[in-house]
Amino acid sequence: MNERRNKLVSILLNNMPMLLFVLLLIAFGAIAPESLQYQNIENAFKQASYIGIVAIGMTFVLLTGGIDLSVGSNMYVSAVIAGLAMQRYSVGAGPALLLCLVVGAVFGTINAIAVTKLRILPFVATLAMMVSGRGVGLMFSKSRAVAFPDPVTGLGSAELFSLLPYPIVIFALVVGGAALLLHRTQLGRQIYALGYDKEVARKAGINADRVQAAAYILCGLFAALGGFVSVVQLGNVNAGFGKGDEFDAIAAAVLGGVSLFGGVGRVFPGVVLGAVFIQAISIGLVSAQVDLYLHPLITAAVIFSAVLADSLRNTYLKKLSRRNIRLEV
Amino acid sequence: MKLDNTLLRWPKAVVLSNHFILVLTVLFFLVMWGIYPHMAGRRNLANLLSNTWPLLALVLGQMFVLIVGGIDLSQTSIMAVTSVLGAMVMATSLEPTRFAHNPLWGVLISEQGGWLSGSPWAVPVAVLSFVVAGASIGLLNGLAVAKLRMPPFMVTLVTMSFFSGLAIYLTQSENVRPLPDSFIAIGKGTLGPISPPMLIVVVLALLAFVVLDRSILGRWFYAVGQNAETAKISGVPTKRVIVLAYAFSGLCAAVGAILYSARLEAGRPTLGRNLLLDVIGAAVIGGISLFGGKGKVLWAVYGVLFFVVLDNSLNKMPLDFYSIDIIKGAVILLAALLDALRTRLSLYHAPLAGAP
Amino acid sequence: MTRSALEFDRVSKSFFGVAALSDVTLSIPEGCLLGLIGENGAGKSTLMNALAGVITPDQGTMRLFGVPFHPTCPADATRAGIAFIHQELNLFSNLSVVDNLYIDGFPRLCRLPIIDKRKAYRQAAELLTAVDLCLSPATPIELLTPGERQLVEIAKALGRNARIIIFDEPTTSLTAAERSKLFQVIDNLRREGRTIIYISHSLDDVLRLADTIAVLRDGKLVSTGPGDQYSANRMVADMVGREIAQMYPARASAPGPESVLDVKSLTQPGMIKDISFTLHEGEVLGVFGLMGSGRSELARIVYGLDPFKSGSIRVRGTDAGAPSPIRSIRNGVAFVTENRRQEGLLMEAPVSENIDLSSLRRYARYGSARIIDRRAALKAARQMAESLQIKSGSIDRHRAKHLSGGNQQKVVIAKWLLTDPGILILDEPTRGIDVGAKYELYSIINDLASRGTAILYISSELEELTGMCDRILVMSNGEIQAQFRHSEFDQESVLQAAFRGRTTANQTEANGEN
Repeated sequence: MNERRNKLVSILLNNMPMLLFVLLLIAFGAIAPESLQYQNIENAFKQASYIGIVAIGMTFVLLTGGIDLSVGSNMYVSAVIAGLAMQRYSVGAGPALLLCLVVGAVFGTINAIAVTKLRILPFVATLAMMVSGRGVGLMFSKSRAVAFPDPVTGLGSAELFSLLPYPIVIFALVVGGAALLLHRTQLGRQIYALGYDKEVARKAGINADRVQAAAYILCGLFAALGGFVSVVQLGNVNAGFGKGDEFDAIAAAVLGGVSLFGGVGRVFPGVVLGAVFIQAISIGLVSAQVDLYLHPLITAAVIFSAVLADSLRNTYLKKLSRRNIRLEV
Repeated sequence: MKLDNTLLRWPKAVVLSNHFILVLTVLFFLVMWGIYPHMAGRRNLANLLSNTWPLLALVLGQMFVLIVGGIDLSQTSIMAVTSVLGAMVMATSLEPTRFAHNPLWGVLISEQGGWLSGSPWAVPVAVLSFVVAGASIGLLNGLAVAKLRMPPFMVTLVTMSFFSGLAIYLTQSENVRPLPDSFIAIGKGTLGPISPPMLIVVVLALLAFVVLDRSILGRWFYAVGQNAETAKISGVPTKRVIVLAYAFSGLCAAVGAILYSARLEAGRPTLGRNLLLDVIGAAVIGGISLFGGKGKVLWAVYGVLFFVVLDNSLNKMPLDFYSIDIIKGAVILLAALLDALRTRLSLYHAPLAGAP
Repeated sequence: MTRSALEFDRVSKSFFGVAALSDVTLSIPEGCLLGLIGENGAGKSTLMNALAGVITPDQGTMRLFGVPFHPTCPADATRAGIAFIHQELNLFSNLSVVDNLYIDGFPRLCRLPIIDKRKAYRQAAELLTAVDLCLSPATPIELLTPGERQLVEIAKALGRNARIIIFDEPTTSLTAAERSKLFQVIDNLRREGRTIIYISHSLDDVLRLADTIAVLRDGKLVSTGPGDQYSANRMVADMVGREIAQMYPARASAPGPESVLDVKSLTQPGMIKDISFTLHEGEVLGVFGLMGSGRSELARIVYGLDPFKSGSIRVRGTDAGAPSPIRSIRNGVAFVTENRRQEGLLMEAPVSENIDLSSLRRYARYGSARIIDRRAALKAARQMAESLQIKSGSIDRHRAKHLSGGNQQKVVIAKWLLTDPGILILDEPTRGIDVGAKYELYSIINDLASRGTAILYISSELEELTGMCDRILVMSNGEIQAQFRHSEFDQESVLQAAFRGRTTANQTEANGEN
């Protein structure tokens, strides 16, 4: 009886992201039933796709026990460079995307070198890169907005087989790829191992530096891709593009059950739901016509409750695991 | 081999010494002075100092949180929200065209200015509300971390976005001004060679020093940061200690907000927006560990000095604003790298007696 | 004549001029189990680190099956077929068994960088069968008991085809049943012709297992020979370098009549049930129990680290209510936890700051400002360190992490003695401490008892309790099963009591797994 209740509670707590999501849907359904139409849900996913992609990149780094505060600046630099290439040298959309990804990967590589070779704390290294990186971006753009050409931005509203918008398709591909990488490749398993304990990982014969570097490079790559997907929808890159997105990405990952201490969390459904959740809040607030100034307050309050639920879960699970000393008959 | 040792002893001693960052700062300053002679001019020195005090207030507070093994990302938003609240208490008049849509119009503020506009109590109450609001937000952070066991990074990240949002909501993005002259004097006036900001922050630093270095509470801060479990079993009221650290950080942020607001002559909802890097950067450069358990007031002072001198000299150079950012980031990386090297060097030279 | 699996030839290593190993020459035949013993700091870990490639010897050579062997990194040793099973297990508890077995080399799907899941599971299942562990390879490590984790480590070594397996204190956190299962598996490994080096402080285990025994002291090999030529006494004598007439110092005092700690029907569901006992002034009361018997939980609840649902704790006649560490310290209760690194010490802090941590309030000046009188605090710490003979550099500079295990434990005890406790709770105080330091700790405990301190002595080593205590309580399944007075001490009946209630528990556990 007691045991069954414990099991139920731990199932509930372990699926917190899912639960929060359902609660949110119910709330929207009750307040504004029209927000649950297919179109709106598709919209939520579409708008969440870019932050979701960035959050998945962030997940790699968080799983190793690190953090990347520079993804927002990375998004900016890579999008600016890709945009300028298209504007000035009339590069096609494909090569521009490739260029964008290369810049993102280079950005990630610098983080990786700082963290693994120079042994600088991830928080400090990526904070510095956040500042420097944006500086580099502004140097290229002269702090003017960089517009993407029309054919590219057309993709933002185009749909694959006129069924699914491209951003969602890309998001889905990224989710599938990341899940495959994390769960079915040696690198993925080693990322989890590293996050559990770096010293133990080293003793187990894992090349810790290489795995950690891979996580930062992947994070940079996905940040650039997320930035590209976002610009395709927005049309241009203004000077503040990506600012603060690092926090949304971290929040999405943590809401999705990724631990800031490393080693715990899943891309699907966790991080996907986390990203959609954050986006859904803002869509919901817009459709409920809440004062724009109040949006950050409400979003923050919701995230706070999600983090609180997560810590309560951890405390509770710890208690549960300590309870098996005596068998009550 | 032996010769090598003696040759290397002096630089090693400097690198490993507590005052390494100060030495570095002075060297850097001297080089810059060579290039830009007006670096050491009276006006620039005054400017340097006036930039030092508010930042030092913030770093001192941050240091307490770092020592107990946490981090406070919300300091900058605490500055913004306290600045707005304090200004709303004492503003001498407010333009209706800008503030008529404000949610507090007619409640706390009106055409005549803030709540206590014109009253002799305006400035003291305003200052008090800065400090109380700052410490309370810090208290909230601390309670969430200590009692609800939430990760500090997330807690303060959320309070950061909440309170900066609140500051903007409360003012609808407008600066709250004009402020009474007696308040502005805090930022500008001088008492002989001593300026009020200097007086305030030096007192704060001395207080922090006495607490950390001489009091039981200070030992508790370090103990909690080094090993919370051991501390708890050894009779340290760990939760209370953690809450206190965050509350003090909030209070320090409020002090910083007072100094900045007085200098800017307004309550500004975006106050401190880009300051987080400076605060964390100065703390890290000073050698305060992000892992907890390590940090000294003197280190905070050195870190802040380095950062302020760097900032000042970058502003002297004919650079675009974005280049300043690039260099700033690079210097923080360098400083962190140096710190990592120092740690490795000191490990190599650790006393080994007693070790197996 | 079997060939040598591993030979050390005049291996020496010194750190900063201090010799950690000098001229160690040792040969281990293939298929042999070598019991390697020595006090902490005798050179066991240095020798093993040389073998693992963590350090490079200054002089001497190692040969593996006759071939010179010069590892420069741990991967070299792994490749050469050497596996280490460490005291603190190196498993990732966030991952599954199969992930742990193959973390550095999964079987791949047709050379793609994709894991061949089916093959990995099949191979893992075979390895688990080989170590007699019946569970699915998909089980997360966090659900396993310490004993099962140990077996997973062995399976991992087998998966890498290790020819030489080194066990470093494998039994410290195992239950009796797990221990005997481990020994069975080790016997099997030996039968298969694998060479094993078994390092332990538990001399009985070494005697039970070893074909050959080697004793290190101060970096030198002091004796080696077939296991049956050794007795516990000879092993101790070789390790310490002198005969220890007795393991336990004689008690000069007897318990007083006054009761200082009165525990009545203390119950916390899932942890302990209906615990009652009285602890008298100057008494050493032993609590014996196996892993998971509730002995440590009892200590944590009495000290106030964990809550209890019903019952009462009275200290010197007054009800302690729901104690907290702070209140307990005020009541004169002190608690040396079983885990000194995580719960007893500030490893990064100087020794002196560890010693005065719990009694800082005594050195406060200026009323509520509570400024520390640093000179007085340091003086007190220094006196305490001297009276316990803590071997350390200048205590206000030397950090706790640089001390040996025995001295670290003395620092923890010094911390508590400075609070002037009337009641001292000791949880496994001699774990991981070498023989010489153990004797010193026993003397300290006797000395405290003779001065009237009441001592609750929790241990899983029965011999230690019978040597030290006035009375022994036996716990199992969270309850007190029996009580023995000094005159009634008898290993067999105590053990029987300790297993009482346990067998039924194990059965239910086993049923639950199916």
